[in-house]
Amino acid sequence: MQGHVRHTERRSAVRGLMRDLATLMLVAGIGLAAAQMEASGDLRVLGFGMPDEIATVRVDTFEEMYPDVSLQLTEGSIDQQQLLTAIASGNPPDVVYLNRDDLSTYATRGALQPLDQCIEQSGLDMGQFRPAASQPVTIDGTVYGIPEFNNVILMIVNTAALEEAGLTVEDVDTSDWEAIAALNEQLTTVDGSNVTRIGFDPKLPEFFPLWVRANGGQLVSDDGRTAMLNSPEAIEALEYTVGLHETAGGRGPFMAFRDTWDFFGSNNQVAANQIGAWPMEQWYVNVLVESSPDAPVAFAPFLDRQGNPLSFATGSAWAIPTGASNPDAACAWMATMTSADTWFAAASERASIRAEEGRTYTGTYTGNLAADERIFGELVQDSGNEAFDHGVDVILQVQDAAFSIPANPAGAQVRQAWTDAVNRVLNGEQNAEEALTQAQEEAQAALDEAWEQ
Amino acid sequence: MGAVGRRTLDVNTPAGGRAGFRRAEARAGWAFISPWIIGFLIFTAVPMLASLYLSFTEYDVLRPPRAAGLDNYAELISDRRLRLALWNSFFYTVLFVPLSIAIALGLSLLLDRVTRAAGFFRTVFYLPSLTPTVAVGALFLWVLNPSVGLLNRALALVGIDGPGWTTEPDWIKPGLVIMSLWSLGGTVVILYAALKNVPQTLYEAARIEGASAWSEFRHVTLPMISGAVFFVLIVNTIAALQVFDEVYTMYFGQMDSGAAGSAALFYVVYLFRQAFEFLNMGYASAMAWLLFIVILVITLIQLRVSKSWVYYEGR
Amino acid sequence: MALAEAASSASARDGSRAVVSRGRRAGKLVSRAVFLVLLSGCTVLFLAPFAWLVSASLKSRSEVFNNEWIPNPVMWSNYVDVWAAAPVFSWLQNSVFVGLIGALAVTVSSAAVAFGFAHFRFRGRDALFGLVLATMMLPGAVTMIPVFLIWNELGMVNTLVPLWAGNLFGSAFYIFLLRQFYLGLPRDLFDAARIDGATYFQMWWRVALPLTRTALIVVFIFEFKALWTDLLKPLIYLYDSALFTMPRGIKTLIDRFGQGGEMQWELVLAATTILTVPLIVLFFFGQRYFIEGIATSGTKG
Repeated sequence: MQGHVRHTERRSAVRGLMRDLATLMLVAGIGLAAAQMEASGDLRVLGFGMPDEIATVRVDTFEEMYPDVSLQLTEGSIDQQQLLTAIASGNPPDVVYLNRDDLSTYATRGALQPLDQCIEQSGLDMGQFRPAASQPVTIDGTVYGIPEFNNVILMIVNTAALEEAGLTVEDVDTSDWEAIAALNEQLTTVDGSNVTRIGFDPKLPEFFPLWVRANGGQLVSDDGRTAMLNSPEAIEALEYTVGLHETAGGRGPFMAFRDTWDFFGSNNQVAANQIGAWPMEQWYVNVLVESSPDAPVAFAPFLDRQGNPLSFATGSAWAIPTGASNPDAACAWMATMTSADTWFAAASERASIRAEEGRTYTGTYTGNLAADERIFGELVQDSGNEAFDHGVDVILQVQDAAFSIPANPAGAQVRQAWTDAVNRVLNGEQNAEEALTQAQEEAQAALDEAWEQ
Repeated sequence: MGAVGRRTLDVNTPAGGRAGFRRAEARAGWAFISPWIIGFLIFTAVPMLASLYLSFTEYDVLRPPRAAGLDNYAELISDRRLRLALWNSFFYTVLFVPLSIAIALGLSLLLDRVTRAAGFFRTVFYLPSLTPTVAVGALFLWVLNPSVGLLNRALALVGIDGPGWTTEPDWIKPGLVIMSLWSLGGTVVILYAALKNVPQTLYEAARIEGASAWSEFRHVTLPMISGAVFFVLIVNTIAALQVFDEVYTMYFGQMDSGAAGSAALFYVVYLFRQAFEFLNMGYASAMAWLLFIVILVITLIQLRVSKSWVYYEGR
Repeated sequence: MALAEAASSASARDGSRAVVSRGRRAGKLVSRAVFLVLLSGCTVLFLAPFAWLVSASLKSRSEVFNNEWIPNPVMWSNYVDVWAAAPVFSWLQNSVFVGLIGALAVTVSSAAVAFGFAHFRFRGRDALFGLVLATMMLPGAVTMIPVFLIWNELGMVNTLVPLWAGNLFGSAFYIFLLRQFYLGLPRDLFDAARIDGATYFQMWWRVALPLTRTALIVVFIFEFKALWTDLLKPLIYLYDSALFTMPRGIKTLIDRFGQGGEMQWELVLAATTILTVPLIVLFFFGQRYFIEGIATSGTKG
């Protein structure tokens, strides 16, 4: 409790500061408003989901600023086949909205335009974006995409299970792997041959990169040319995390039990006391507060072995395909959509809609630091649900603690290599070293081939 | 297919008229199939040839293809995942096709016995085929769940400790077969339509001769619907070797729990990933043509064998 | 209720075709019991996925996956919400248009082509039929982009045309299916027609088509279903939201809740139910003609 009070105080202070800062910047007219540009003609946008207010308000803002541009939005998130056919036909859209992870696959193959000129013309300040968001869109120092949204990972903890075992949230310290293994043993419960609670779920295979990073390794070198899947750090991380499944009787019973959870429901695994703790994407915090607001839950940052917060960020980015027919309008579009002003207008709309519904606005993580500062400084209020408010703090805190896999042209193949390797170890087909050595060969071959072209 | 040509004309015409008649018949035949010929030339032949050409290139769709000789075909031989994917697809096909035909035949016979509310039952039997894969998939995960699933609970009643249908690599493929069998309504409909086309008189004749139910089925029903059975055999084999939708939805798409790994990596799933996720369209094209050859060989064998058991009344 | 009726009538009927032969009363009883068990078992099994879908679409957001069969409370509002949140009606209109015209086109063209392959003798026919089968053997993933480029050349991208116009040229699967049915028709029927002076077209239109009505309905239903549920073509050919078909529209519903949004599964499932019901209705009415199918083929000599 005490820790929480401290937190709230600090946060108000931080928010106050942010508000002052925002006002200051507004007065000085820097960094917030996107400069008006020359743009007209047709603008085809592919891959943007509609129509929640965060999307519609920003689109409206653009249409007001650029009445001469006729906008054609193709709704729904992008699909590789959709983009590939459009590019192959020589008639690509003017702007695409992609996962940041996929961007480098296209950019390294020359399918996306470098944005230097656009950034210069629009006066777009790349420094306003969080490093975790701008890093994956920057290849060899050249920017190929304008990022938006920044989704991170945090620890979700079932305090009821901890209490039973006489533990507290502080004991869920992912920097201490032995302690986590012990906690896992302590919290896992098995009834006959059936698992009834998983103590600690490392979330394999999808969070394997997080564990490797926590252990001081990485999957691909910073220049995106060398796979590093069988480093000692990676092997150790895999052995350790796979070992955590043993307490529940191995991967089969573990997965079978996990599949029975009412993941989106009021009787979810926290409410039903079926999990001790696990790292999870931030969106799940919203699911929990909606479906089981009174569940005994707490949130904490995931820590690397040195004890520093660590996260794995995902998000989207805007990019202009090579051969786009209206790059000027595209540039205006990207600058407008990602400017702090536009974000703030959209967030204000959502906050007022939430207020009408009698719900709390919990913030939007834009990937734009200036926008986040204003949103969390001026719009986000305490909900009164202490655990949840703390969760919001944690998410904000780890926004910049995130890493991403370095840009490379064979992202999907590298992902397949390590995912399959993790699965083979989980299934007992290979040990960690064998599996990762095989994955390393596959990933390196894919990287070599992709770079060579 | 050669069998079709053996059909003889039973109208006696003078020799000269016969040749004229043949020319007229040929012209009419070409006229009837002309829509397909046009469509084939415009929309099928060109794309097929294009993919054949691309199979000899490095092509990522984003840049122009670059000649690569036999590289892609050489890589087919050394690719471990490809062997695995081929094996997975064979395994699935060998399990699925005979089961699907046998069960669909059973179900269509069952339907054939229903007289009241027959429309209701026909619709119900076809229902899973009409229900989107996502709904079938969500339910399937629940039914096949190793610990709380209906299937393993039912097996437990008879003392069998059911396997991990969704979690153990060895059982994922049988699990998928079970899910696919759920949606065999299409096969049921075809066989049922064939059963409905069997002339009543044949059954009446059999009954007069005092044939047992089994021998009636064996000597009347089965020969009369053998053309349809042959059709579903060929078509289901081709479809099973190209199975994609269900598997991709369950284990690689929205519902992916990362559990399946390579156990559910079917041939076309792998091909799809090579083409659209790894951007190796050239290699994917080579994979497609390898599968084409495999399916062609299997189909030719089936055609050859079919001559001994398929009966066409019209011949 | 329907089940009991069907079961009792199955064994009680006389004069109609029955697999159970007469004079085996004991066997008949056992057979009837087995029939009843099988029929009810299969009915439950096959109803389940759709029942799950309908039930889940009527649940509140936090209960969608709770594996209860009866929604509590019943959220009819999901349907109102989805109707308000998305232009479902316009999606349905586009889907109906593409489904009807495409299914009709493929039924007629495939029937003509199948008749050409089944009835006539001409040089190269068997090789061509082999080619028809061969077109089914190459996975569509590798021909997708070339086909797209052709439609692009024809200026048809971002119209509904590529979704159905390919059907004007027949489809291998249905050509093969209908050919099998035509080969099952007794030849003397056609010979008789020819002696009566019928043209080849009349032999097809007046003799072959009516006799294979069941198969034609099967083709129509299969293709309507395929067009109705197809996501890939609408995804790559359509850019304008106004042209979206139902599955393409549902994809936008699924996607809009992705980034930092909420998973409104109940709305997605309500839309999916709206997608499915017309198919069930179509099948229910289409299957009625199955019986007429036998009635007509029963008259043949």
